[in-house]
Amino acid sequence: MPCALNLMTDFNIILFMCNWGPHAAYQTLQDTAARIPDEIKMVRIPCAGRISKALLLRSFEMGAHGVALVGCHPGSCRYGTGSSNAQDHVEDARGILELLGLGKDRLRLATFLPDEPERLLSFLQDFTTEIREMGPSPIAPAGEKTLLIEGNNAIQEIVAAHDVYACQDCGKCSSACPLTLAGKPFSPRGIASEVIAGHIDAPAVQKDIWSCLTCGLCYDRCPSAVDFAGFIRDLRHYLATSGSNNHTAHGGFFQSLMRTMTSEDLQMRHWEWLPEDIQTDPDSKILFFGGCAPYFDIFFRTHLGVKTRDILVDSLRLLNFFDIHPALLMNERCCGHDLLWSGDRENFGKLAQLNVRALRDMGIEEVITACPECYRTLARDYPQQGVEPGFKVTHIFDLIEKEIDKGAISFKELGRKLTFQDPCRLSRFENRPDLPRKLIRRLNPVSFDEMPEHGTSAICCGNSAWVGCDAFSKALQVKRLRQAHGTGSDLLVTACPKCQIHLRCAMEDPFLGEELHMEMMDLASVLAKTIEWE
Amino acid sequence: MTQANKGGQRQEIVFTGFGGQGIVLAGRILGKAAVIGDHRQSTLVQAYGPEARGGACSAQVIIADQAIHYPYVRRPDVLVCMSQAGFDKFIGQMKEGGTLLIDKDLVQPKGVSGDFFSIPSSRMAEELGRIMLANIIMLGFFTAVTGAVSVDAARDAVVKSVPKGTEEMNATAFNKGCDYGLAVLKGREKKASGKAGA
Ligand code: SF4
Ligand code: SF4
Ligand code: SF4
Repeated sequence: MPCALNLMTDFNIILFMCNWGPHAAYQTLQDTAARIPDEIKMVRIPCAGRISKALLLRSFEMGAHGVALVGCHPGSCRYGTGSSNAQDHVEDARGILELLGLGKDRLRLATFLPDEPERLLSFLQDFTTEIREMGPSPIAPAGEKTLLIEGNNAIQEIVAAHDVYACQDCGKCSSACPLTLAGKPFSPRGIASEVIAGHIDAPAVQKDIWSCLTCGLCYDRCPSAVDFAGFIRDLRHYLATSGSNNHTAHGGFFQSLMRTMTSEDLQMRHWEWLPEDIQTDPDSKILFFGGCAPYFDIFFRTHLGVKTRDILVDSLRLLNFFDIHPALLMNERCCGHDLLWSGDRENFGKLAQLNVRALRDMGIEEVITACPECYRTLARDYPQQGVEPGFKVTHIFDLIEKEIDKGAISFKELGRKLTFQDPCRLSRFENRPDLPRKLIRRLNPVSFDEMPEHGTSAICCGNSAWVGCDAFSKALQVKRLRQAHGTGSDLLVTACPKCQIHLRCAMEDPFLGEELHMEMMDLASVLAKTIEWE
Repeated sequence: MTQANKGGQRQEIVFTGFGGQGIVLAGRILGKAAVIGDHRQSTLVQAYGPEARGGACSAQVIIADQAIHYPYVRRPDVLVCMSQAGFDKFIGQMKEGGTLLIDKDLVQPKGVSGDFFSIPSSRMAEELGRIMLANIIMLGFFTAVTGAVSVDAARDAVVKSVPKGTEEMNATAFNKGCDYGLAVLKGREKKASGKAGA
């Protein structure tokens, strides 16, 4: 990728070209001095199937106006599955470009045999013409790294800000940390003392800083109230700005997606897929903020098959049930949670400002959200990071609980045995474990049983902010899912789209998958499916 | 059965329950709301006496735009029952097509074939920590469902009629009943349009 970046001129079309079939055709074009459009920047790759969604999106993030992935005909792939992988990746990435408002047609997949140079040439010429007609991409490359924070001082400030000096070296954090308990040689106390001792540059320490789940369990246990998750967040910012590799999951796709959204000129289509029977009102002063679920579903379409978008639809149905017809922001951007927690405070700030400005322009007075991360980020981190929202932020559970409490509501029988996975951002960070439970108790299931660790002590779903996912995250998830099965339940109720994604990932394990499998449904969906007027 | 109409009309209302539930107080607050808040006319007749003891006690309220010459209610437009005995005694007098409101847990509306409105007012009062608030919850419910007095007038009258220091608690109770009534009406409207669920 860096070579492509250097080549970027005013107008860039990135051509990822498989080394085998099509490259031979391309060479013929070069040999015969054929008129390959100047805008085309060719990057030779070993196989079209190796270009992940992350790389495709990253090209756009870095300023490409169009991207073509050129591979071999299905059946002629040297590695067997390259062509079909490429197809899946391009289809998903096109879906994402569509939501982003870039338009799917800026990304193409094409296949050529070695003896098809003319076809290749006309493809390149046609594609270039089309991209020229579409005009430049609205994305202004955001860049990941800005100023270098001064080493030691910065670290000392971070240590002081989170009162890490108050650490008594008692080790309660390490004995509570789910990663440590999953067998990972990892110790929050260890990180704290290493950083205080000035060893931030040690590779092992840096690796651990990227591994932490920022789940906050240690903070819950710490007698000195060392806010370890916040400490880690700021250390990550320090590391990211000083160039440490940040161990992102999925090739950094999600970080790339979020950075892409910092471009002001994007005209996104965040809600275009919404079912028609959902009632919204563009003039409402109440807005429903959906979050990134629509992107997740496209990204995980072929792998996990999650349907987190349903959470948004069912939340809106619940609001409609109570005659609340909220406004929606078509240009809704990611709240920025995962950028903030993976060390990119600058781009987080840009997202925060763009979202707040758009909502203010609409005159929004109250934002309702069903995502605990959006909730926490809009309500707490925006003001803390210097972006005053100027509107009230309400978690949908609070609103629904208030409405149900007025009366005349009942719940249909739900022939399922329930257990509940706490979302760390709501149950622990906001200290609201009772809120979802109040609603669950209103339901009419066969049973509701808690896992051994629940509420503020709940174990994490295994990842946060798309960083540091490894075999120990998996071990942790396996443990959690076994706990869920241990309750004898058959429906795992969740309250965060990410919990569903990460836990579903563990259920894909080829050996344990069957044993671990359990249906999951967000509490908003369970409510929407069973609520009725008395 | 429809909601009792507002304005330009005369409404005859009977509140009934057992002694100690604050039935008469509810009637008095209702009358005050109509007169002071809504600037209409109102009368109240309270039935104590031997026939009420341990059995049904009642408050008869008339609300009208013109002077009321005869304050006794013989055929109530609205009947509010907070006890079984009260229900049994008065249900036969209710006007054809009148509005019936009951406490869900205390009254079995035996023999009522038509529609009626119910609220667990005593249970809700217990949840608020004071069983004594059931009458005020019922009054809120009555206000929302019948529209016989305006919500603001009724809430004001509640606050001005209860003992000092309990105003806020009573206002909360009134609001609870009122919200419940509005929720019931909304639920009916939704069901009628074929949308019972989300
Ligand atoms: S629990 Fe708190 S005080 Fe104890 S070792 Fe961990 S950070 Fe230090
Ligand atoms: S935040 Fe969670 S994962 Fe990180 S050290 Fe604390 S307990 Fe462990
Ligand atoms: S648990 Fe699975 S879905 Fe979640 S970050 Fe790790 S690999 Fe990705």
